[in-house]
Amino acid sequence: MTPSPLTVALLGNPNVGKSTLFTSLAGIPTRVGNYPGVTVEEKVGRFVHRGRQIDLIDLPGTYSLTPQSPDERVTVDILHGHMTGVRRPDCLIVVVDATNLERNLYLVTQALEVGLPVVIALTLSDIADRRGIRIDADELAHRLRCPVVRVVASTGEGIGAVRDWMLDAIGGPPPRPLALSGPNLPVDPGSTRSPAAREAIARYAAIGRLLEGISSTSRPALRLTEDRIDAVLTHRLWGTFFFAAVMLAMFASIFWLAAPLMDLISAGMDGLSTFVARLLPLGPVRSLIVDGILAGVAGTVVFVPQIALLFLFIAVLEGCGYLSRAAFLMDRLLVGAGLSGKSFIPLLSSFACAIPGIMAARTIENRRDRLLTILVAPLMSCSARLPVYLLLCGAFVPDRAAGLPWLPLKAAVLTGLYALGVVVAAAVALILSRTVFRGPPQPFVMELPGWRWPRPAVVFERAREAAWSFLMNAGTLIVAVSVVVWALMNYPRDDRRIDADVAALRTSLESRIEATGSDEPDWGDLVAERASLDTPAGVESARRGAAQRQSFLGYAGRFIEPVVRPLGWDWRIGCAAIASFPAREVVLGTLGVIYNLGDVDPGEEEGATLLERRLKAARWDGTNRRVFTLPVALSIMVFFALCAQCASTLVVIGHETGSWVWPVVTFVYMTVLAWLGAFAIYRLGLFLGW
Amino acid sequence: MVSLDDIPVGTTARVHDVTGADPVSIRLLEMGLTPGIEIRLVSRAPFGDPLELEVRGYRLSIRRHEAALVSIGDC
Repeated sequence: MTPSPLTVALLGNPNVGKSTLFTSLAGIPTRVGNYPGVTVEEKVGRFVHRGRQIDLIDLPGTYSLTPQSPDERVTVDILHGHMTGVRRPDCLIVVVDATNLERNLYLVTQALEVGLPVVIALTLSDIADRRGIRIDADELAHRLRCPVVRVVASTGEGIGAVRDWMLDAIGGPPPRPLALSGPNLPVDPGSTRSPAAREAIARYAAIGRLLEGISSTSRPALRLTEDRIDAVLTHRLWGTFFFAAVMLAMFASIFWLAAPLMDLISAGMDGLSTFVARLLPLGPVRSLIVDGILAGVAGTVVFVPQIALLFLFIAVLEGCGYLSRAAFLMDRLLVGAGLSGKSFIPLLSSFACAIPGIMAARTIENRRDRLLTILVAPLMSCSARLPVYLLLCGAFVPDRAAGLPWLPLKAAVLTGLYALGVVVAAAVALILSRTVFRGPPQPFVMELPGWRWPRPAVVFERAREAAWSFLMNAGTLIVAVSVVVWALMNYPRDDRRIDADVAALRTSLESRIEATGSDEPDWGDLVAERASLDTPAGVESARRGAAQRQSFLGYAGRFIEPVVRPLGWDWRIGCAAIASFPAREVVLGTLGVIYNLGDVDPGEEEGATLLERRLKAARWDGTNRRVFTLPVALSIMVFFALCAQCASTLVVIGHETGSWVWPVVTFVYMTVLAWLGAFAIYRLGLFLGW
Repeated sequence: MVSLDDIPVGTTARVHDVTGADPVSIRLLEMGLTPGIEIRLVSRAPFGDPLELEVRGYRLSIRRHEAALVSIGDC
């Protein structure tokens, strides 16, 4: 009979090389997810040592077992076997940063009281050596009455010993605690301090006694060099300057470096779609596979380069110790909006795409700050909004200066749309932090870890894990949404009604041509559109437009027309807004289909010009009134700046927060804000006679 | 009493006490800011907040709001 698997938990402060040790011991994790009901990452790996299977749990980094955050609560619950679905560990490996022994031993003194066998892994021992920190590990083990192993991740030193000691410790007696809590707490007569405060002081006093004669530090030049690096990189001027350069490089890489990779993926998926389309006969099955499933898969895979690149960057910054410094530099700025310094990178990344941005919020330890950051990240104008802005600005914002001679109005509108997202995000974060998320002040105590070189294995694992978890967890749902929207856009379908619609279009165009003088600007477009109906391709495009207008989507557009009328929209724009639920940029393609252009690519100049002309020629049903005017274009752009029309973002919010409440909240609040913003700008435009 | 928020950058000082029994004060003690320990104010962030400290051989960042809870004695 094979013995049952053992559970071992890795416990340690944040930034002590816990993930590195995890990878050294167990390799790639077998399970990564969230603990049920809480936004705390669960990471489990599996390995076999001396014939025993061991499940290794990577506990969230924690400074103390007196829990103050959900992460620490989860850690304590697991250690005591109170976490449903998680077995109480058989042994604890406490990861201790050898360069910061005193503070790290605080957690050790608590871990010894849990009642589980303890093995101590002294990580970063090579860096401690270089800094001239000498630790008598044998004497420390003797005084703590538990094994203490020197570990050097880069050479693998100590990994085997940790495994051996771990198995040996299981089944042995638990270590004797230092007797510092509860009734054993030394009394301090006349003190007004709380028991918790006295406990903390007593623990440090005990650590002081414990370390007597064990640890010695000579302070060589290296530590001084580090101090100098720190002095420059957290300097008011130079630090800010360097920070801006690093952030610019990071943003440029996810914005531009990812672009060719994303194009490659899109091209590959297009090729696959064409290939599959050739294999299948024209009909609903082919349409489902190509326009529903494959489009959804393409819409998922295309995010992978940005996610992987951002996480590579974050892992490097985290690994060398700069991530905390970045948060340190930016903290004041974001505290004003009810957030914290750690929100900066997630929010900045969201200008490229909210999905990697929301995922990057994993680096925010504080649950409240993390949730707030996730909720406002989609308000940053992402790259998917840009085509919408560019097309509508190009077509409907007049070519003139905006007050200042060097500032074109188009550029001013574009900048305004980006600023709008930032201002609204700050306001929303501030309001939420003062209302829904009000609570006792949470301590902001952030360690600024020593400078060190990031380890490539850890960096790549971080990027791989982020991309993989996105594909596996969010990907399937995104494909499902794509299929549902495909069905709404294609059914019901009645060929006789479609033919009737195309015939009606022909008649209406002819009568409009007659009513329009040949010197009017629209005349040429009307004649061209009428002429296209004599070609098979033109008829096909018109039929597609008719089919879409008659689908559930068309009904939905007419159904919501009373809601979008105050924004200056007709039901077709309403349709396009609904159809863009999978992704904002879809709105342009949908407008192309609705206005009988068939599939146009608004990303290319030819497609954009065609679409622009068709939009300019569009009239309200049965009248000669233009649909697209400057106020309407502004109203659409403001709506798309603030709305949550991106199923992938909502799916990722659901996954990252571990609850479907938050995507619903995000969708509702953003849609309401988008409507209000669009209404305000439309009315303002009408009032000022734009 | 002078608090940690009042001292100039570069100063080395000794913690006198951490006032309060709320989670914030407890966390400061747990991070090693116990009475009698020597600390150094290394720098302030560009906007004046938060602060960077050296305590027990490592670097810690806390906000001014928290630093105000730490009273400083003579060194």
